[in-house]
Amino acid sequence: MTAQRVAVTAIGVVSPLGVGVAENLAGLRAGRDAVTAASAFDVSLCRAKTAGQVDAGWTFAGADRRWHRASHFTAAAMREVHAGDPGFAPELAVIGTTSGGMSFGEKYQRAQIAQQRPRQRAQWLANYMPQKAVLDALGACEWMAPMQIIANACASGSNAIGHAFQLVRAGLHRSVVCGGYDAISELVFVGFDSLQAATPEKVRPFDRNRTGLVLGEGAAMLALESLESARRRGAAILGEVTGYGIATDNHHLTQPHPSGVGPRMAMERALADARREAGGIDYINAHGTATPFNDATEGLAIAQLFGSRVAVSSTKSMMGHALGAAGAIEAVFSLLAIREGFIPPNINYAEADPAFALDIVANEARDARPRRVLSNSFGFGGTNASIVLEAA
Amino acid sequence: MKAGIAGLGWVTPLGSELDAVFTALREGAVAETTSLRNPESGRELPTRPVPARLIEHLARNPRLRRSSNISYFAVAAAQAALADAGLAADSRTALVFAVSNGGVIYTRRFYEQVVRQGANAASPLLFPETVYNAPASHLAAVLGIDGAAYTLVGDHSIGLAALHFGAQLLALGECDRVLVVGCEELDWIVCQAFHDWRLDREPLSEGAGAVLLAREGPLTITTTTGVPFLRRADAEAALRAAIGGASAEVTIGSQSGQLGDAPGASALWQVIYAALALRRGDVRSALVPVPGFNQQAAAALIALD
Repeated sequence: MTAQRVAVTAIGVVSPLGVGVAENLAGLRAGRDAVTAASAFDVSLCRAKTAGQVDAGWTFAGADRRWHRASHFTAAAMREVHAGDPGFAPELAVIGTTSGGMSFGEKYQRAQIAQQRPRQRAQWLANYMPQKAVLDALGACEWMAPMQIIANACASGSNAIGHAFQLVRAGLHRSVVCGGYDAISELVFVGFDSLQAATPEKVRPFDRNRTGLVLGEGAAMLALESLESARRRGAAILGEVTGYGIATDNHHLTQPHPSGVGPRMAMERALADARREAGGIDYINAHGTATPFNDATEGLAIAQLFGSRVAVSSTKSMMGHALGAAGAIEAVFSLLAIREGFIPPNINYAEADPAFALDIVANEARDARPRRVLSNSFGFGGTNASIVLEAA
Repeated sequence: MKAGIAGLGWVTPLGSELDAVFTALREGAVAETTSLRNPESGRELPTRPVPARLIEHLARNPRLRRSSNISYFAVAAAQAALADAGLAADSRTALVFAVSNGGVIYTRRFYEQVVRQGANAASPLLFPETVYNAPASHLAAVLGIDGAAYTLVGDHSIGLAALHFGAQLLALGECDRVLVVGCEELDWIVCQAFHDWRLDREPLSEGAGAVLLAREGPLTITTTTGVPFLRRADAEAALRAAIGGASAEVTIGSQSGQLGDAPGASALWQVIYAALALRRGDVRSALVPVPGFNQQAAAALIALD
């Protein structure tokens, strides 16, 4: 089959940095710290007390009152894609998430424990399942595309973009809307807290004194289409997806192999897929959760593959780790870096880790003209994904 | 998308032997119904579980020490499919995993600890098993799969969606074989939820189905993307659209009347039953239609190559 070039014709994003591309771009340029006191549930018994949260007062205009918060995020991001390219009509939706509408499941379980049978329980169940947010978002755009919902933990968003990219490149689909979403839930917050993977301090990716991650939330969507088709109808071309790598390291359910073999394989495969050498990458939007384990293995793998020649930052330093949405949000951020000519900062960075020599974009955005960006996402279960995005 | 079927495996409430379960189903056997108690309300909820002696036998893998039934089922069905094909997983084997409810036993237990004992008492041993891709991770580790491994979530149609996803991976040339595994495990909270949601026309059940896809095989399966619907009233029309112009000698409908309803596994059980019927020469083609309950309808055609 003839390989198609794969264009991104529209993007949409909701994150703790803001609702929509413009607010997120301003936050990235300013290096805004969007991590605040966790407010959705009681965290008094947790070590960690903060999270990157989408403004609690914001709702998606046109939302059904029964929707889960995840549907609001997903619909807003997808509607921004629709508004950005009204001529785009997806044949398929490939969307990542880790936990769907989990907080509605929590409500249901709390009601069971309290031996209550509230009227809303059927609505909680209907809106709890991961497919519901995608259905709501598609409905908000009046798109009725079939969907593939990937739940590969924190790599889900990148996996979704990567798979969608492969389908369009191979000509199996002409147009695919892809991305990821997640909304903070108590179960997941407490879960990371129980593992002591969440920090009670500032989130400091790649810093020598990093102490863990902060959870985030949000959604991001991308319109992918064959470049030829997009050009034919005069669509704006925001960039291209050119490579995707996936690897499974099989070491441990929650910890990466200390050698960095998983991240390294994913990055190598993405580079090979894009037919690029490591030296051709201008910026790496790292997974960079700020857990001691992740950053050690990812930092080592980046240093081994790229040396210290490439600019690296973790935008999770500003907004926390949005789990299934992270890869998609970071793909949007990577495209913004390419289009707007800057590299987003890795804030809260004070001291280099001597275990790996990297060019960390510390604390302030850097003026630059990156043309090729590698974005990493790794997750529980040893799942690793990397994608390459390039200027058109 | 079209792919070959190289191997089959399942764990069902009627057992895990391919031929024995097929024969039992054909003869109209119905898995034993037992009740699972909601400890909060005292309500007894009908279920069709995998027999306890079979679960005990499946739970012996060291990697699975901390996991729950869903991972036992997944590994057993996948290994059976590979054995059926006379193959081992290798670096050109991908994994596509289908779930609807996922690892509900540990998810319910973990959050129960949070509610009853407080967040600072919740066990870090349980949390990792609550993520949707935990069973796929265990399976990849057991089989040594280091490449593509995807977990897909959705409604009853997810098994067919996973087969379609697997066929896509083959068409992309990313691998030579794809192990497609659909799984579900029973827990009282899911039974209660399905009851409250009025989706419990049949008792819920559990188990796994595994289909090893290859580029070619004596049997082929033709899959399509599902047809989504927003309202349940539109599901029938969606199913008609999913079937399209496909026709076959027989239609293999839901076996939930015999095996119970295991959303993540049921569609794969239907496919495996159809494939076994073809292998035996009973029929030359079979259509498997699956109406999902809140997402999409899907259909697959299994035929002799």
